Amino acid sequence: MNFMLNSMILLSIVILTLPLMINLAFPHKTNHFPAYCKNAVKLAFLTSLPPLILFVYADTSHHTTWSHHTSINTLNLSMSFKLDHFSIIFIPIAFYVTWSILEFSLWYMHTDPKIHQFFKYLITFLLTMIILVSANNLFQLFIGWEGVGIMSFMLIGWWYGRSDANTAALQAVLYNRIGDIGFMLTMAWLMINNNSWDLQHIFMTNMNTLALLGLIIAATGKSAQFGLHPWLPSAMEGPTPVSALLHSSTMVVAGIFLLIRFHPMMENNNTALTTALCLGATTTLFTAMCAITQNDIKKIVAFSTSSQLGLMMVTIGLNQPHLAFLHICTHAFFKAMLFLCSGSIIHSLNNEQDIRKMGGLLHILPITSSALMTGSLALMGTPFLAGFYSKDSIIEAMNTSYINSWAMVMTLIATSLTAIYSLRIIYFALLNQPRFPPMSPINENNPNLTNPITRLALGSIFAAFILTMNIPPTSMVPMTMPPALKLTALIVTIIGLIIPMELNLLINKLPTTPMIHTDNFSNMLGYFTHLFHRMYPLANLQMGQHIATMLIDLNWYEKTGPKGQANLHNTTSSYITSTQKGLIKTYFLSFIITIPAIFAMIT
Amino acid sequence: MAASMAVSRGIRWLGTAAWRVTPVGARAASGLSKDMLPGPYPRTPEERAAAAKKYNMRVEDYEPYPDDGFGYGDYPKLPDHSQHERDPWYDWDHSELRLNWGEPMHFDFDMYTRNRVDTSPTPVSWNTMCKHFFGFFGFMMFMFWLGEVFPSYRPVCKQHFVYNLGFFSALGS
Repeated sequence: MNFMLNSMILLSIVILTLPLMINLAFPHKTNHFPAYCKNAVKLAFLTSLPPLILFVYADTSHHTTWSHHTSINTLNLSMSFKLDHFSIIFIPIAFYVTWSILEFSLWYMHTDPKIHQFFKYLITFLLTMIILVSANNLFQLFIGWEGVGIMSFMLIGWWYGRSDANTAALQAVLYNRIGDIGFMLTMAWLMINNNSWDLQHIFMTNMNTLALLGLIIAATGKSAQFGLHPWLPSAMEGPTPVSALLHSSTMVVAGIFLLIRFHPMMENNNTALTTALCLGATTTLFTAMCAITQNDIKKIVAFSTSSQLGLMMVTIGLNQPHLAFLHICTHAFFKAMLFLCSGSIIHSLNNEQDIRKMGGLLHILPITSSALMTGSLALMGTPFLAGFYSKDSIIEAMNTSYINSWAMVMTLIATSLTAIYSLRIIYFALLNQPRFPPMSPINENNPNLTNPITRLALGSIFAAFILTMNIPPTSMVPMTMPPALKLTALIVTIIGLIIPMELNLLINKLPTTPMIHTDNFSNMLGYFTHLFHRMYPLANLQMGQHIATMLIDLNWYEKTGPKGQANLHNTTSSYITSTQKGLIKTYFLSFIITIPAIFAMIT
Repeated sequence: MAASMAVSRGIRWLGTAAWRVTPVGARAASGLSKDMLPGPYPRTPEERAAAAKKYNMRVEDYEPYPDDGFGYGDYPKLPDHSQHERDPWYDWDHSELRLNWGEPMHFDFDMYTRNRVDTSPTPVSWNTMCKHFFGFFGFMMFMFWLGEVFPSYRPVCKQHFVYNLGFFSALGS
């Protein structure tokens, strides 16, 4: 059965290249190209299902090494695919989500004159993502890694006439590049110490803390962890399908996926695990805090994504890579759906993204509203929806582990903040009376809009159940715990729903409040962008200017060169001559000491 | 032969005529004379007035950098504000630079363009932002350290002691 698994997965990847080749061969035939792309991805999804079923029921997994590509002295590079638990499950999910997003894009980007190019970019992105996920060596993984980064740049800057979009695209590239330094550090370390980039070889040896920290830095950049996170909310400048595919489901999980791939190396290194845990806890809390005061619907969902990525990093730090992977899979469904619902609302309200100018959409957009509420409930971890199986397991594992107590507290607070900002979206966008001018006709008549949302809603409800029931756990799950620990996630979420509702009722009765520092801190994203986007360029550019123009002249001519030498001579000679007071008669008295000394020596 | 000579003479005349014809009031950016370039630090009021005129500024606005050996000369010290702070709706001569022709440029102008350092005022002051952010970060780091010192874990004995294992006495009781 191995050959069937092998060939069908590789066939599904080859199917993805067909639209690109067709477009290369016939660049002017663009009329039906978008629909053709969507059908290609649908076919790829259906082709990737039998391998998934084979894996679930027969536990077949495979590594395929194709061609001996290059040799550099003793380092051999080849094109090889690792079709194991992670890649076989992730590939169909990525295809399913992309199929839905491409169908949605047929409606959303309908009036764009370059829609065929948009679809081409999305297919290219998906191809590089699959290369990343199925790579069996770091070189191939790096090809996919850079590929998704470049496609992210091109898609964020889709509306390139807008300067904010160009800035956001550049920001994404630069922050990812800083993370790539860590990736290259690890690759260099492995090349020097292991002489191989193949995962099988690496897993037979040991990796030291430096190499693992390099991987964590790479994940920090790609998965928008605290410190390298500002690019993710800025990436919302791109079209909504781009945000749904890249910046929620697939690209941003690449960093976490890398750490999951290297879990055999990380499980024995306490420093790496603690770093991942603390970094993830900081990220999840910080970004959840930023989300609760945002007014742009896409920014709220972007910060929610960042918070869930922090939770995945916490799970890595708990040494539970399979739970992190399960959360990646379930998160893809409901987060993509949340973005599609946001896109539906934005387009219906004539490109209005401010939630303060929405309202009453519950009756006007019934399918979108239902999906939005389902997705929000799944995100909050409502029992027996998709998010429950992964999120609740993570919180249970956290509560029953030997863990940094502050990291645990931060993660629980972030879980309650998740409920707050989800409720905020629902309250402002769907409930109460409309706060927008009734200019554009609002409807959900187009099946290209409703079908993808419905499909992802079904995924958000059933996917995790199907996955959990069919895939046996790989590590021992905690079986016994007090009821309070078991119900922690639910209690914390309910507290997160009740307290802000009470606070809202309280604040509505108060007069207008003066400037609140915590609200400013949260709304301005912790001041991180304002501080660091001004400090670093100023310091670097000023230092560069001073070194180039003044340091050379000032230093070499005046401080160490001729003028400096002259000054030094002047000061030392003036100091020494100041001690010479010209008292010759007094100086002659020194002979009183030396002449008796000579006599004493002679006698 | 005569025709080719006539053509070459005509071309040469055209070239010299082009040199002679210059639009009234136009100055090219190239071909600066010595007195238009930056000079040494102005010491007398007359030198200050001449420098102000050279940089197209009023004498009362003109202020050179202090003469402390950094080599600024008589270049004016303009306020450290970036181009982000200038009016985006005004019809500047160079719209992307938000600059008019002949206006004195800041010494670090290439740093203060719209793609680089932004000095526009923030809703919250710089000191407050630094205090709040680094205070938050420092607090988190301290609490993470404290969390490492006092970790959270499930109890491992029937009677659990915090400061010592208490294994053997607990097993006996």
